[in-house]
Amino acid sequence: MSPRNAPDTLRGSLDLLVLKTLSLEPTHGWGISQRIQQMSKGVLDVNQGSLYPALQRMEKDGTITSDWKTTDNNRQARYYRITASGRRALQQEIDSYRRFHVGLETLLRVSEA
Amino acid sequence: MSVIDGALARLRLIFGRRTAESRFESELRFHVDMEAERLVREEGIDPAEARRRAFVALGGVEKHRESLRDGRGTAWLAGLSLDTKLAMRMLVKYPALTFVGVLGLSVAVTIGALAFSAVNAVTATALPLDEGDRVIAIRNIDVLKNDDARQTHLHDMDTWRANARTIADLSAYRIAPVNLLLEGMAPVSVRAVEMSASGFRVARVAPAMGRYIRDDDARPGAPDVVVLGHDLWQKRLGGKADIVGTMIELGTRRHEVIGVMPAGFAFPENNQVWTPLRLSALDFRRGASPSLNVFARLAPGASLSAAQRELATIGERLARDERATHENVRTRVVPYAVSFLDTPFAIRLLHLVQVGVGFLLLIIGTNVAVIVYARTASRATEIAVRTALGASRRRIVGQLFAEAVALTGVAATVGLVVANEVFRRIEQMVRISADDQVPYWIHLEITPVTVVYAAGLAVVAAVIIGLIPALKATKHQVTDNLRGISGASMRLGKSWTALLVAQVAVSVMALPFAAQGSWTWIKMMLVDYGTPATRSFVIAEPLMSLDDPQAPDTMRMRVRQARYAQGVAELRRRLEALPGGGEVVAMSAIPKQSGMSHFELETLPTDVDSIRARSQHDARAPRVEASYFKAFDVPLLAGREFNPADLTPGANAIIVNRSYHAFYLGGGNALGRRVRLRPERPGENPEPWMEVVGVVEDFPRPVGTESYAPLVYLPMRTEASYPVKLAVRAKNVPLATLGDEIRKTAMSVDPGLRFTSIQTVESLMQQEADTERMALLGIMLVGLSVVLLASAGIYALMSFTVTRRRREIGIRSALGASRARVLLEILAKALKQIGLGIAIGSVTLTVIYRLAGDSGTYLELVKMMLELAGLMLVVGVLSTIGPARRALGVQPTEALKGE
Repeated sequence: MSPRNAPDTLRGSLDLLVLKTLSLEPTHGWGISQRIQQMSKGVLDVNQGSLYPALQRMEKDGTITSDWKTTDNNRQARYYRITASGRRALQQEIDSYRRFHVGLETLLRVSEA
Repeated sequence: MSVIDGALARLRLIFGRRTAESRFESELRFHVDMEAERLVREEGIDPAEARRRAFVALGGVEKHRESLRDGRGTAWLAGLSLDTKLAMRMLVKYPALTFVGVLGLSVAVTIGALAFSAVNAVTATALPLDEGDRVIAIRNIDVLKNDDARQTHLHDMDTWRANARTIADLSAYRIAPVNLLLEGMAPVSVRAVEMSASGFRVARVAPAMGRYIRDDDARPGAPDVVVLGHDLWQKRLGGKADIVGTMIELGTRRHEVIGVMPAGFAFPENNQVWTPLRLSALDFRRGASPSLNVFARLAPGASLSAAQRELATIGERLARDERATHENVRTRVVPYAVSFLDTPFAIRLLHLVQVGVGFLLLIIGTNVAVIVYARTASRATEIAVRTALGASRRRIVGQLFAEAVALTGVAATVGLVVANEVFRRIEQMVRISADDQVPYWIHLEITPVTVVYAAGLAVVAAVIIGLIPALKATKHQVTDNLRGISGASMRLGKSWTALLVAQVAVSVMALPFAAQGSWTWIKMMLVDYGTPATRSFVIAEPLMSLDDPQAPDTMRMRVRQARYAQGVAELRRRLEALPGGGEVVAMSAIPKQSGMSHFELETLPTDVDSIRARSQHDARAPRVEASYFKAFDVPLLAGREFNPADLTPGANAIIVNRSYHAFYLGGGNALGRRVRLRPERPGENPEPWMEVVGVVEDFPRPVGTESYAPLVYLPMRTEASYPVKLAVRAKNVPLATLGDEIRKTAMSVDPGLRFTSIQTVESLMQQEADTERMALLGIMLVGLSVVLLASAGIYALMSFTVTRRRREIGIRSALGASRARVLLEILAKALKQIGLGIAIGSVTLTVIYRLAGDSGTYLELVKMMLELAGLMLVVGVLSTIGPARRALGVQPTEALKGE
């Protein structure tokens, strides 16, 4: 699996990645995809095609919200921000991911042994 | 996010759909720009290529937009707007169907809305008063005569007042029209009402000025007082602020104005002048007192049904105790607002109207449904293709339903507009002819409830004409419909054949009315009522005010007749003596206003069948004076005019007009023919024979067309008639002031003589004609739309049936059947169905007319039915030939392709 193309691993954790990114600071859709890539040092690359539907869905669910702002280079962009319920959801996602991760690690160790 | 926030957000999204979509596009554009810049910057790619790659990475913009809609729950909106667009396009694409459908349905909606509003207006149970639904009318009904027994009310009021616990403020009134005399003006006839003081307490409306009538105003010997309505005070008395305390003259008596009621108050019927009711039961025998209308309020806490029970019980006791007057009298309690309708006849009529309207709606709805179904069937292939391309059944049904809604929606709008216009005209006519006789709370108008009703009708119609055919059309397998020949899989079973037969039958029954209505309507448009005579004569109808309130009805009638005859005779003399000479002709009614009488012609052995068939007939029969024909320039065509001898007892002369002569006497020798009035009820003795002594020209005279307005003129004995209409003209009095001149002259003869409206003969005839024309226009439109719809329905069904058999026809001609033979066979089948329809329709119509017993018009109808049968056959054959020829043109190979 190439490090830049890990859609299968990403599937299901896209919400987690978006929420995590937005918990650091509000940004626009392109910014989110860039930030994820930077923070994961190029390991995780969000499929841009599935990012916007996810943002729509999350906004509808109320975990994120958005408003239009001017960017540094003076352009209008939609900035997404995490909401209070988004922060709670993020914590739950992290917890459940960690449990999943621990479980998976344990399983892999058993099968390696 | 709370539920409310969510709902608000969703509403914003729905209503801000366009904004949301355009913002989303901006967002994607920003993303592509940023990504392309990054690619140029970091990977050194050419800007155009960088942009292309950015797009590819993002995926389709349209796909994102779709997901935006789906995500926001607005996908159906896009579908809806598409459906609407398509539906509108279909309306334009099939103009014939749109025209026929909209015409038919809008006629249905118009009639439905009119009937609904009218029934609502007249059956509303609440008066526009405080707790108006608790005001009740109490009336005695003579069950044997099926009529009011109002002469019993005065005495019974004492019994009711003493015994009934469920009612309060028992009151009574009677209408007493009288002349209102104002300084320097001609007298005005007003519908004054004598009402008990408690009547104002029932109404619970405070006077705008002064006070209303109190109980002591009604005691014998109290000064005459009057309360005026706001309208009258404003219009006739100039709205004088110091009106209270002044004196006005009503008839011969001076009354002190004690108060003015507020605007809009016209209780108990439609009145503007109130005087105290001063009747005492002591002055009359029981059952022979003046007629009164009785009303009250329900006592606090009492229900209508409790009052009904209590008063009925009291009534039964009275029936036992007062056998002489009350044996057949029963007491009824009804909400006051509907008491004017509370006659068995009116109620039957209303039910009949409702049933009729329902039936009409059904016929029209079914007709339109047939046509739409045939079109839907012919679109089976299109539907199949759409299904194959992934459209769900729900989606297709939705679209077909939207098409139906578009059609019925347009029709409902048109229908409401027309209904509104009809009401406006009726109101106008009522205002001219009987303004103050319609209860003040009844308004014919399109209310919001009517709009909701029409919208409901539109939806129901859309379900019938859209949903049902759509469900049927989408029931079959796609493959069936795709197999090639359109409509092949939609079956028209026995029920559709039955429908076709019914269509024809209904048209056969509807057309005679439509044809007759249209014909008369056209003729009436051509009649010119303006002649030098009709323009110069005004019609004045003197009436007599009964200002001797103490006399019982029967005696009053006798007294009135004597006083009236004397008054009218003197009035005539004075009018004829006007400067320059006046001319006065008495008559019972102008020709258009006189009622229909049932006549019987004495047949002679030499009479042809058509005269025999029409020997029992109806004709208008005005009574006129001898001078009538000369005054109105009606030429004598044969025989003589009336002479004084015709007025002696036992004289039996009548004069008929040209129409009567042509229509009922076959244009043969009229003089000496004998005619008599048929008895109203079977078993009664017929009236004596009368002899035709003259034939006169038709009046009003039709222009450019033969007329069917048969008239029988009877000689008039002025002194024995009430009321009499006087046609008056005066050489030196201008038309504009002639009315006032007549009123003033009459006032000086007898203050009891009063007039409602005085207008020229021409305008009176025109008004009558307008009313009649409107009714005829209605009949014509309804009839024509039924026939048009039926023809369209037959066409649609026929061509659909033949189209469906295209393959079979192709195969048969491939197998060697001759074209003529196949064509004949198709036609024979069509003709069989149409013929059956014609037979059923004719038989039904014949039965109806036999029951109605009018043999004269019946012959006309037979003729018209034959014409109609011809028309239906032509429609049937025409609608069969086109598709049949197309079917015969199909190549056998093509026809067999599907096998």
